[in-house]
Amino acid sequence: MEPLTSMGVLALMGAAATIAGASEDLESDVGSQSNPNSQVQLAPQMMYPHRIYNKAVSGEPPSNALMCAIGGTTASVLMTTGASPILALIIGSIVAAAVHGTYSVTSYFGRSASQKRFKQPIYLDLIRSHTPVIMGYAFITTFCILVVSYLMVAVMAHPFSLPLLAFIWGIAVGAIGSSTGDVHYGAEREFQNVEFGSGLNAANSGNIVRKAESGLRNGIDNSWFCAKFGGPATGIAFGMVVFLSGWITVVFDPSISEVMGWESIIAGVAMVLLMVMWNRKIEVDARNAFGPYKSDEEEVAA
Amino acid sequence: MIDIVGIIADDFLNILMITFGGVLISLGVHLVPVGGAPAAMAQATGVGTGTVQLAAGAGLTGLVTAGFMMNATDSMGLVVASGTVGAMIMIAVTMLVGQWLYVYGVGCPPASAKVKYDPITKDRQDLYVSQGTEGHGIPTASFISGVIGAGLGGLGGSMIYFYLLSIENGLPEADFIGIASIFAIGLFFVNAVIPSYNIGGTIEGFHDPKFKRFPKAVFASLVATFLAAIMGVVAIGGM
Amino acid sequence: MSAGGGGGGAHEAIPQNNIIAFGVIGGLVGIYAAYFLVDMVGPYMSFLGALGAICGIIWGAAAVRRVANYGLGTGVPSIGMLALGIGVIATTFGLAVGGIAGPVVALVFASLIGLVVGVLANKVLNMGIPIMVQSMIEIAGAGAITIVGLSTSMMGTFVFFDEIANGMIISQGVASGVMTTGYIAVIFIAGGLAILHPFNANLGPDEKQDRTLMLALEKGAIAMIIAGIVASINEGASGSLTILIGLALWYIGFSGFYDRVKRDAYDVVGTGMLPSKEELE
Repeated sequence: MEPLTSMGVLALMGAAATIAGASEDLESDVGSQSNPNSQVQLAPQMMYPHRIYNKAVSGEPPSNALMCAIGGTTASVLMTTGASPILALIIGSIVAAAVHGTYSVTSYFGRSASQKRFKQPIYLDLIRSHTPVIMGYAFITTFCILVVSYLMVAVMAHPFSLPLLAFIWGIAVGAIGSSTGDVHYGAEREFQNVEFGSGLNAANSGNIVRKAESGLRNGIDNSWFCAKFGGPATGIAFGMVVFLSGWITVVFDPSISEVMGWESIIAGVAMVLLMVMWNRKIEVDARNAFGPYKSDEEEVAA
Repeated sequence: MIDIVGIIADDFLNILMITFGGVLISLGVHLVPVGGAPAAMAQATGVGTGTVQLAAGAGLTGLVTAGFMMNATDSMGLVVASGTVGAMIMIAVTMLVGQWLYVYGVGCPPASAKVKYDPITKDRQDLYVSQGTEGHGIPTASFISGVIGAGLGGLGGSMIYFYLLSIENGLPEADFIGIASIFAIGLFFVNAVIPSYNIGGTIEGFHDPKFKRFPKAVFASLVATFLAAIMGVVAIGGM
Repeated sequence: MSAGGGGGGAHEAIPQNNIIAFGVIGGLVGIYAAYFLVDMVGPYMSFLGALGAICGIIWGAAAVRRVANYGLGTGVPSIGMLALGIGVIATTFGLAVGGIAGPVVALVFASLIGLVVGVLANKVLNMGIPIMVQSMIEIAGAGAITIVGLSTSMMGTFVFFDEIANGMIISQGVASGVMTTGYIAVIFIAGGLAILHPFNANLGPDEKQDRTLMLALEKGAIAMIIAGIVASINEGASGSLTILIGLALWYIGFSGFYDRVKRDAYDVVGTGMLPSKEELE
């Protein structure tokens, strides 16, 4: 393929992936999913009942893989019958969002009902207000992942089929979302009642913030906060993964010659080394800026 | 009916290499710094997600790049190298952005609670661990350990894929790419769950005392993958 | 065949052995009924395969519930992914070598890998969960039944290879219709989540078996609807009846689950403030 064309396609994929990453993270913040949800789950037990949507859909990677695989399957079935790709991808995403809605509702019901002895009520207005938002974000995520997968299959001639690629990218976006953006929700938003930068003392576990700027805090308040940093950061991360892992083979095309193939590997390794150094720089800067939490007792004694 | 013994005898090298791929995944998962749920609250060192999920995310990204490479070339070295690099890029980006969140979003410097000095940079660690936590963020030792671990995972996964696809059964490759890839995914999950049970779901990297347990999981993966490899090779060889 | 049997006696816990029998017998009967009746009656009988898969899903969810109660050291999802990982390996093998006995071979070999992994987990990894071995066998077996059942209802057959006569494909097999097309991915994840989600979504001290299993029925019905969507483009299977029955089962499952939520929850309110201090004490 023309290098310019494939570069353009790759840019489009990267852009779609960035949106997918951001909406994936915000979707998990509205519903409170994945690891930070362990604190939401713990709170009633510590006598802190709350009004936060307790959406425990089996960790983000499998739940996103489910959405994307269902979307990819429906789209692929529709395209077999001759539907236009755009229409097929949209209908696929709608089906996926609907299924995700049922998963979200049942986990909020189930988890709250299993906390009877801690007197955690089920608020039906949370279901009515949050589930459409969750489904909306799920639609955006699925659609963008399907765009990435479809471009890979149709334009870049990737040998995997559309449902399989959508499944794999779903796992990847979930893994990235739960490793990056969720930290902003779990470590900062849930515990704004402790001093910034103090980490979460194990003694504070379960003591999540339950009051909002106005009224009682809910998941939509949380997504408003996380949209300022956690969501966009997740988007950049997923966009970078899709873009960089494709970039090395687009620039150094292995189908031209094997030497080019090895050059693409070297380019990839160079990028990883660059990121190791970047990470080291952040580490040093952070240590200097924040300083240690306690003084060195040995030195003080000496 | 399929000649099971004949296929196993013909493709014994493939079975061995697939088993080896499974062992590499199992070893790699031990190196990926995962703090589980506490890490998502800046309560433990490592990436704030589950072992299986992060390893699968990285390894399957590697599978996508390896599959793409396999379409362009037949060189085994290139296919497994691109699988390795794909997984390494995914985890490096994830850990780097995760680090942004810990430093700029949460305000915690990266620190390990398992060792007093970072084994690579020799930085003092214990003073930078905030009160009541088991460390937070991703110190350099964990970062490098994670890159190596994901690389091994991607290497193992793409090796399984390559050796499943290079079985001679008289069919064009395109006919069984689907089976080979879902089979590689299945084996990946099996070999990611076994080590995660071994380490109890969390580890900081190669400097974590739990890392010494890896021979057990590697042995378990060896046995389980060998059985599965025979089944996979027979299923594909008989097509 | 009543796939709704998962609910069982209202408040009484169902013994695991009954659920195992329900999963194995119901699953295999559904799969074989689909296989023979599609030939004899017509493609629209392919929905029976999905009913078999639902039996497997309910069995798997019950087994996950038992073993995950011990605390695995890592999340509930891992064991579901393990089950389906083993299931997909055993299913490929079983259907490829087994011919007409394919589903049984897949079930036996899934149980075999489950046995090996269970023994390794307890003996080598020292997990020390007493029911680990039995549970791994059950979960892996349930995973295999789920995969075979959903594939059968997608294709109308569980025969692995295409049937070719005079160079023409007269009927498509699972290998080309489900695996090569990538629809196996959705079977993998929709079946896997249907097995692990029910317990994960009901996690907590006041979890009840019948509520969890009702949720398994509801999630199984979703997998059935998806299988129906794929079946609609295959000549050997019929999608419309599968989707309709799936929707009906989904409604039964969801309303049954919601009834049990209202029964078990502390309170179900339209909206309101948090419980007061006095109420909490």
